[in-house]
Parts: sequence; C-alpha cells; structure tokens
Amino acid sequence: MKKEIPILIGFFATIGWYLEFFFAGTFFENWKMFFTTGFRSVAIVGLLVGVVNVLRVNYSRIKYNNDRWFSVYQMSIIFLMVILASLRGVSPGTPFDAMYTFGFIPLDATVFSLLAFYVASASYRSFKIKSIESAFLLVAAILIMLSKMPLGEAMWSKIPAIGEWIMDGPTSAGKRAILFGAYLGGLTMMIRIAFGLEKSHLSD
Amino acid sequence: MEKLVDILKKLDRRWIFLLIFLSCIIPFWFPTLFKQEFSTSKETQRVYDIIEGLDEGDAVFIDWAFNPTLQAELLPMAEQTIKQCFDNKLRVFIYYPDLTAISLGENLVANIVKEEKYSKMEKGVDYIHLGYLPISIDMMIFSMYSDFKSTFGKEGKIFKGIKTFNDIKYMMSFAGSAHPEYYLLLQRRFGFRMGAGVTAVTGPDFIPYLQTGQLDGMLFGLKGAAEYENLRLKNLDVSEEQYKKEKKLNQKANAGMASLTLSHLIMFAFIGIGNFIYFYERKYKKSN
Repeated sequence: MKKEIPILIGFFATIGWYLEFFFAGTFFENWKMFFTTGFRSVAIVGLLVGVVNVLRVNYSRIKYNNDRWFSVYQMSIIFLMVILASLRGVSPGTPFDAMYTFGFIPLDATVFSLLAFYVASASYRSFKIKSIESAFLLVAAILIMLSKMPLGEAMWSKIPAIGEWIMDGPTSAGKRAILFGAYLGGLTMMIRIAFGLEKSHLSD
Repeated sequence: MEKLVDILKKLDRRWIFLLIFLSCIIPFWFPTLFKQEFSTSKETQRVYDIIEGLDEGDAVFIDWAFNPTLQAELLPMAEQTIKQCFDNKLRVFIYYPDLTAISLGENLVANIVKEEKYSKMEKGVDYIHLGYLPISIDMMIFSMYSDFKSTFGKEGKIFKGIKTFNDIKYMMSFAGSAHPEYYLLLQRRFGFRMGAGVTAVTGPDFIPYLQTGQLDGMLFGLKGAAEYENLRLKNLDVSEEQYKKEKKLNQKANAGMASLTLSHLIMFAFIGIGNFIYFYERKYKKSN
C-alpha cells in the first residue's frame, strides 16, 4: 500500500489536470484551489525542513571541527539577517537592506561576472576552425555578436538584419526541434508516472 | 615566427583576464569611444508600443525573476518598463518568483519614486510589490485566475477592479533562464498577453515564441535595454533642459554599450590569434 496509494493519487491528479484543459469551468474551480493551497502548505513544510537541515549540517561541522570557522561565519550571517529582518523589517533603508545592498548584491554579481573571463579564455583555447561545421559556427557566432553591439551596425548597416536572419531561421529551427523533442519526452514521462510505470519519484 | 607562436601558445590566461577586465572598465570613463547610434529592433519597438497603447489605469503585471547576478542586463529593462508604466499612469503589480530578488526590485522602485517626476507615485495605489509565493508558476496562474488578490494576500486601492488575472492587460517577464516558458505553457489555456525581457544568452530560446505570436515583444540583452532607453527618451515631450536631466537618469544600459563593444573586440582578437596558432601549427606539422 506504501507504493499503490501514491501511484493512485498521481494517476487521478494527472488525469484531472489533463481534463481541466478541455473542460475548464466551475466543476474544476474548487478542486484547483484545493491543489494550490495544498502545494503552498507542502512548500512551507519543505522550507522548514530546509532550515532544520541547514542547522543540523552546520551544527555537526562546528562540533566535529570540519570547516568550523566557515560554518560559524555562515550561521552568524544567516542569524544576523534573520534577526535584523525580524526587528526592523526588510524594506529599503533598513539594516537588512544595507546588508543585501552592500553585501549580497556585489558578491552575487561578482560570481556571475567571472563567467566573462572564463568564456574569453575558453574561446581563445578552443574556438578553432577544425571542420566545415565549426567554421559555420564561428562565422555565425561573430555575426551574432556584431549584430548585438553598436559597432556592428556602424561597420555595415546590414549586420543587424543578418543577425536577425540567423536567429529567426537556423537558430529558431534548431530550437523548435529541441523543444519538440523535449516536450514529447515530457509527455511520455507524464504517461509513465500516471500509470505507475515510472517510480523514481517514489524513491523506488 | 615560431617563437611568437610559442609565446602565444603558452600565454598565461591571467593576461586574457587582465585584458578583458580593462576592456570592461576603461569604456566607462570614455563612453564615446565607439559610435553609439543603433537602430531599434522590432521586438523592442513592440514592447514599447504595447505599453504606450494601454489606457490610463490599466494594470500591468511584472514578473521579476532575476537576482543581482543578471542586474547589468535586466535591471535597466525593468527600470524603463516601470517608468513607462508610471508615465502612462498604469498600475504596476510586481511579483518575485525568486526570494533573493525582492530587495533588488524594492530598491529600484524606491529609487524611481525619489525622482521628482515620479514622486507622487504611491505604494498600494500606483504600484505594489506582491512578494514571493512558495508555489510553482502554473499553480500561481491557476490561483490568479480564481482570485487575484487572495493569491498574494495583499491589500490596497490598486486592486480595485482586479478580480482575476483576466483584468491584467499586459505582463512582462524578466528572466535570465527558461522561466518565462512557464507562463507560455499556460498562455494557450488562458489567453493572456505577455512580453519578455531576457539576457542575450537566453534570448534565442524565445525566438520561436515571438514567431508564433505567443510573445508580443521582447527586450533582448543589454542592447535591447539600451534600445528601450533610447525609445523612451526619443518620445519624451519635454524641454531641452529637462531632456538632459532625463538622459542622465536613463542611461544605465547605454553606459555599458561601449564596454560591451570593446570586450567583444578583445574576444574576437583572441579567437583570431587562437585560430592563427592552430593553422600555423597544422601547416608546420604537415611540412615536417
């Protein structure tokens, strides 16, 4: 019964949501809200589990001297932000907001901006014309990059139009094919879950 | 020549990092380094025209799905969209599907309303932050179509006449991932109109949706943001002095365009050098 009941719930939920698309109306209104509220409750419990997990992991790290100071630092910041948010709120101008603006924003943006440096280095090492296909790729990439900066248009007024054609034609065709394949795969997975053939979500 | 190729081949990547760093930084002191005039793409124009065409008091839903990692590209877009909505006296609802994005959005709007032009904009009347909901987007859409206000549990005059998501005239989703696709999947079911503001990396993923008409318009990367800034400035009906003031306040994306150009040129140069080494070595190996 441990497996059968979740499979049955999955089956009825899948069929219900599927039919909702075809028979939208009052019959499904209350039923939809039941699921929406249910999901919200589950997500809040999930958040609680996450908090307990963070506390447990860091507690054991601090206790057993495994990256102790990193965990102490991390937990201090977390607690400080929670305390400040509880005491003074999170709106602009509060201490929490100052920590967000002067701590989180620069750190978060810095980590992502490192990507530019690695992309430049990687393209120098590996963006080479080793075949006809890679030649096409390189030419297309350069044209797209030129079309996305003012210099491209200043060099030749047709550059943006060429960039647009590459995007609207070959790129879009490839993307459509990938999307079509991915959604067919998703549909297959949905059918497998609905009929209990796929049980990985039940830890089977 | 062989010596030069050998030096280039063994070039420490820290030199590449340094050059990229300088190419990003230097143009901020010399913003007129490159010609800054460029045409407006039809996707950007469409977003501008749609918002411009809405009636006073209409509601616009902004889905703010980006955190500080993507602020260089997406923050100027969101800023211009909100300002255009305020200019046209539209009601702005801002929803944050990412917890770490809330303060970013609140700070931006707080800075906008500090500007003299928007100082009369009131929270809960002209705009509202709907916060974060711990549910998936499809669940949220179903909930918004049942009862918009109770979905977010917020109060304010701004909700007057908004019963369900049907009463929202337009929505813009700002993201650097496949996030807007969650809305697009249910768009067919509910029929709402939407546009998107996306990063240059994720932009090509949304071209098929533009072609099918599911997306009305799209702001595409930093250039899209700069085009949008220029469009708003071009259509401002103000005195020359006021225009200069406005230009100073609305140039965040344009300020980054020279940096974008120079860093790309450095990358082109490195790609060229990399290919030169490759072909030189191939030729040299063959002859030996």
